[in-house]
Amino acid sequence: MALTRAQIVEGLVKILGEEKVITDEQVLKESSIDRFRKYEDICGVYTQPIPAAVVKIENAQEVSAVLKFANENIINVVPRTGQSATEGGLETAVENSIVVDGSGMNKIVKIDPYNMQATCECGVSLQVLDDLLREQGYTTGHSPQSKPLAQMGGLVATRSIGQLSTLYGGIEDMVVGVEAVFPNGEITRIKNVPRRAAGPDIRHVIIGNEGALCYITEVTVKIFKYMPENNIFLGYTLENMKPGLEILREVMVEGYKPSVARLYDPEDGAYHFSHFADGKCVLIFMAEGPKAIAEATAKAIEEIAAKYDECKKVDTQFIKTWFDHLNWDPKKVAEERIEIAETQNIGFTTEVSGNWDIIHDIYEACCERVRNEIPDITMMGGHSSHSYVNGTNMYFMYYYNLVDVEPEEEITKYHNPINKIIVEETLKAGGSMVHHHGVGKHRTHWIKEEYESSYYILETLKKAFDPNGIMNMGTILPIKK
Amino acid sequence: MKMMVCFKAVPDLEMLSEEDWAADSNLKVDLSFVRNILNCFDESALEMALKLSDVSEGFDVLLNLTAFTIGDQKSDTYLKTLYALRFKKAVRIESNEDLRFFPDVTATVISQYVREINHQDVIVLGRQSGEGDNGKTPLLVAEMLEWPCITQVIRIEPDTEGSLKVTNMVDGGTLTQTITTPCVLSVGNAPNSYLRVPTLKDKMKYGKTPIEVLDIQQFNIQALLDDCRHGCELKGLEKISHKRQGIIIEGETPREKARILYDSYLKERLEKL
Repeated sequence: MALTRAQIVEGLVKILGEEKVITDEQVLKESSIDRFRKYEDICGVYTQPIPAAVVKIENAQEVSAVLKFANENIINVVPRTGQSATEGGLETAVENSIVVDGSGMNKIVKIDPYNMQATCECGVSLQVLDDLLREQGYTTGHSPQSKPLAQMGGLVATRSIGQLSTLYGGIEDMVVGVEAVFPNGEITRIKNVPRRAAGPDIRHVIIGNEGALCYITEVTVKIFKYMPENNIFLGYTLENMKPGLEILREVMVEGYKPSVARLYDPEDGAYHFSHFADGKCVLIFMAEGPKAIAEATAKAIEEIAAKYDECKKVDTQFIKTWFDHLNWDPKKVAEERIEIAETQNIGFTTEVSGNWDIIHDIYEACCERVRNEIPDITMMGGHSSHSYVNGTNMYFMYYYNLVDVEPEEEITKYHNPINKIIVEETLKAGGSMVHHHGVGKHRTHWIKEEYESSYYILETLKKAFDPNGIMNMGTILPIKK
Repeated sequence: MKMMVCFKAVPDLEMLSEEDWAADSNLKVDLSFVRNILNCFDESALEMALKLSDVSEGFDVLLNLTAFTIGDQKSDTYLKTLYALRFKKAVRIESNEDLRFFPDVTATVISQYVREINHQDVIVLGRQSGEGDNGKTPLLVAEMLEWPCITQVIRIEPDTEGSLKVTNMVDGGTLTQTITTPCVLSVGNAPNSYLRVPTLKDKMKYGKTPIEVLDIQQFNIQALLDDCRHGCELKGLEKISHKRQGIIIEGETPREKARILYDSYLKERLEKL
C-alpha cells in the first residue's frame, strides 16, 4: 500500500534528520514547477501536485538512502540542483513526490591543471567554478546563458550546451567521469580517463538522463587554457537567413572552429542589435584560443564572409558589448517577473536541430505557422547558435500577450500549441525536436517519433535502471496512463 | 482630449563595462556601441497614457494620443511600435544635435510644436532622462506655454473632456487632484514601468503608418543652441567612487553566520518595519 504523505516525511526524517527535510508549504509549491510554468509562479497559482518534501542532501550516501527508500515504496523522485530548468523537468508530476535538492553539495573537489580536469560535486555553480578557474588561467569552456544560475549536476543531466560550443563542444564533450546513484541505491563512479574502448561509452547513460534514470552526485570535466586576450569578435549584417546559414555551413565544413558562431533573424535580433542592424539578420563569430589559431580562424571567416556580397561587416565593438551582457543572472530573472506581471507579455523558447539541408525550411515553416496560427503573438523569431559540420540548431524565441486567460490556462492556450508546431515541423523535416534544453515533461508526447526505431534502446534503459519508474516520472518518457 | 507624450530613446548605460566609461580626448564617453532603450520615466509616461486611453471611453472622453520625440531615425522603431499600440500620430523632430544637456532647446521645440503646429490639451513627459539627468524639460515646457505643471505624477485617470484626475507623489504621501486642461504632467516613479507590447498583427496593420518628420531647423533654435553651448564648457571628468564599507561576518557554520547577521544587523531594522 502506498505511503501517506506523513509516512513519507517520517521516513525521510529517519534517513536524513529533521533539518534536511523541508515541508514548508510555500517551498513545496515553488518546488512543484520550473521556469516552464513561470507565469503560474508569478501569479502564485500552482497547478501541479505538491511534493511531500524537499530534501537537502549532502553526499552520495544520503542520496543512495533516499532513492532506496523511494524505490522500495514507489515514490516519485525529482532530482534538482540549480533550478534553472525550462522544460518542466523539475515539475512534480505525481502526488507526494520527493524533490532531492543537491545544491548543498557544492564542494569543488579537485582542480587538476596537470591533467587538465576539474572535479566537483553536483551543486557547484558553473559560475563559481569557472570564475575560480579563470583566476588560475583556465576555463571550463562551458558558457550557457544560465551560467550564473545553473549547477554542474543539472548541466550534465540536461545535456547542456554553452555559447562557446563550436570550439569546446557541449557538456557531453567535456565530461570526463561522473558519479551517479541509481534508484536501487547503487553508487556508481565512471573513472576519469582521456578515452577508452572498453565497450559502450556508459557516460551517455548518465549525461542527459534528466533525472529519469539516476541522480548525478559528482562530475569531472575537462578544463582549458583561458586566453581572453586573444579573442577576436566578428559581426555582419545580412538581409536574409539563408545566406547566413550558408556562411555558417562553409565555416564549419572548411574545418574552422570559432567558439561562437551565431546567426540571428531580424525579429530575434531586434532586442539586441536594433541600434546597428534594424530589420536585418546578424551573423556573429568569436575566434579564441592561442593567438595564431584565433587570428587564422578570424582571417578565414572574414575571407568566407567576403564572398557573399550581401554580408556587410559591422564594428566589432558592437559584438563585444553584446557578448558581455548575454547571460541570465538572478537580477534579470527578477526583472523579467516584474515585466511579465506588468505587461502581461511573456516569452519562451524552443530549440531544435537539423542538418544543413533542412534547417532553413524548418525555420521558415515554424515561423510562418506560429505567426499565423497562434493568437496574440507579439514576436516569433529565432537564431542558430550551435553549429556542426553536418548541421546547426534553431533556437526559436516567441512572445505573446496573455489575453483573457487564467494563469493555469496560459500553457494550453499558447505555449503548448507553439511547441507543437515547432516540434511537428522539425520532426516532419527529419530534425531533432530538442537541441539542448532537455525533453522535460512537455515534449514527451513526441518522444517515439523523435527516437523512431531506436526508441527500443531508450525504453530498455528506463526499464533496466528504473524498473519501478520512480525517477522523475513523466520526464523524457510520458507517464503511462 | 488631445494628449501628447514626449519620449526619448537613450543608450542602455547598464551595458557599459567599467572600462567603457573612459572619456576620449574630447571628454566624451563612446555610447555608440550600446543599444537604445526607452528612457524609463518616458516609458512609464507612454504606458500611463495608454492605460488612460483604455478607460477613457467609459467616461465618454475620446483620447487622441500623439507620440513625440527629437532624434534621428533610430527612434522610428519606437514610433512604429506606438502606432501599433494605437497612438493616433507619431512625430519625430529630425536632429543630429547633441541636446543631452540643453533642456532649454528641447523645451523650446516641444512648446513651439504644440503652440504652432499641433495644439494639445495635455503634454506628458518623463521627469528626466538617464543620460542628461537635467530634470528640467517638463517644467520649462510648462513655463514656455504658461500652463500648470504637476510633477512626480504616478497615475492619470479620466474625469471630463476638460479635466483629468492626476495622482502625484508629495512629501509623505500621494495627492490626487482634478486638473483642468491644458496642463503639463511630469511622470515620476510610477508603479508601472514597462510599456505594453503590440501583437504582430497590430504591427502589420498600424505600424506602417507614416511618421511625421520635421526638421529641427524649422524651430529656429540655432541661436539658443549656440548660447547654451557657450554658456557651459566641460572642463574635466572624474569618476565618483561609490564604494561602501563592508563587513565580513566570521563564523564556524553558515547557521552561526546567519545568526550573527540576524542578531547584529537585521533584527533591529526588521522590528522597525
